[in-house]
Amino acid sequence: MSSSAALLQSDTLGSRLTSRGDLTSFFMELTAEIGADSYMLVAIVHDQDRNDARIVSSNWIFDAIELIGKRLIASLAQGALTVAPGIRPRPLVAAQAPDADGLVSGEEARLLDVLGHAEIYSLRLNVGRQRLFALFSAATAGHIDQPALMKAQLKCCYALSHIPQLIAAAAMQDPLSDRERECLFWVSEGKTTDEVAVILGVSSNTVNSYITHAIQKFAASNRAMAIATAIRSGII
Amino acid sequence: MKHADIKDAAEALFNEQRSPFGAFSLSSETHHAVTIPDAVRRCRWVSVDINASAFGLYFVSPSPERARLVPCFDSDYPGIALATKFISGANGEEIVRHTHNSTEPRWWTDDGVEAMAEMFGKLAWTAQISPLAPGTSGIAFPVHADRGQCGLVVFLGSEIALPQDMLYEIHARCFSLFAAVARIRPSDAGRMRAISKRELECLKLTANGNTSEEIARLLKLSVHTANQYLTQSTQKLNAVNRNQAVAKALRLGLIE
Repeated sequence: MSSSAALLQSDTLGSRLTSRGDLTSFFMELTAEIGADSYMLVAIVHDQDRNDARIVSSNWIFDAIELIGKRLIASLAQGALTVAPGIRPRPLVAAQAPDADGLVSGEEARLLDVLGHAEIYSLRLNVGRQRLFALFSAATAGHIDQPALMKAQLKCCYALSHIPQLIAAAAMQDPLSDRERECLFWVSEGKTTDEVAVILGVSSNTVNSYITHAIQKFAASNRAMAIATAIRSGII
Repeated sequence: MKHADIKDAAEALFNEQRSPFGAFSLSSETHHAVTIPDAVRRCRWVSVDINASAFGLYFVSPSPERARLVPCFDSDYPGIALATKFISGANGEEIVRHTHNSTEPRWWTDDGVEAMAEMFGKLAWTAQISPLAPGTSGIAFPVHADRGQCGLVVFLGSEIALPQDMLYEIHARCFSLFAAVARIRPSDAGRMRAISKRELECLKLTANGNTSEEIARLLKLSVHTANQYLTQSTQKLNAVNRNQAVAKALRLGLIE
């Protein structure tokens, strides 16, 4: 069992990733290695009741994105088929839709099929505390190598860990400073302003101003909403 | 050797259920760890597969200020290993910061065994950190669960064998192990009284930034009733106020 022989092109590309361009090359290479045709890296932005997809990187054709729509992409990325690392993935097969999971209608499935997404896998990626989603799809169902896909999921997590600023900017996920995040965390644990002040050893006014800043950054209307936004985006 | 015995036993157990991705399938290991002893057993299997001599699972606190590793269990379960005392002590700060920002594994060597440094040094995607416990070598895998919990799975040993190809599988198994552990941990989920549909609606609207008055208007209730629903749900969630109730409901997946 030799260990050095197992390095693939994606390992080399991914572990040296520093720029947006590197990200594209890495994903192109990885997509080819697992037998897929298309990839899409998506961040989900929570806006009140709606989940919007923010596409960070993708080789889907423009028309596919336009026709399928961000809303459907968001529900594909976050739907019942999405798996965390370590769970065996299950594809959405366009030919079998509408299926039990009810993710896509018959019409949408036909569209996906025509546009070259006969099967789609949706993977959750954890990059530290940030959460992103990767869709890998193939024009022919059954083309994607599942064991390789499960490894690819970890590789994506690793690779994205190299470019936190880029991911944060794309996903606009954690706008808070350390202090603001901490204050909001304690408020979410049911602490009052005065209690947080004692915990952190600062004045109540300071705590209030941190929390106000956090509320403003999330464009929230009050503490409860700021907490909800922060938890939904995995910040606290 | 005791270690060799465990390895044989685990291998025998796994040979039937091996999937193309190694000892890792939809069977017991992925889904059904319901107790800590189960989780410890699963972790031991992983540990045996890479020939580690000790392991530990730690929760990582969300706040950067109290950067701390909280032990959940280790290979001396139900006792606590000496290494765990070091790892959860002062040495954890660097790895906690790392776990908040990155998912890449980190390794260290401090046992003077050259082969370990050489083996780890060849692994793509990993890098060296200062020793988590003095006099040991080991590797730490950052893991994350559904509700945003962070953790770290650590393996120690001077004879660890971890080829590149196995790195992903081992890390994936750590992820699913942690997901199972994170599900058991919020102990109040089980004995919680059922929350009514109306109460959840009110909580959801609160999470969306609505005040009691707005909720009353949206749901066509009196302000008093809306407040009562919120008070009830706060009590049922064992929370001290609305903010905590909203946080708990989201973390437990009661509202989206």
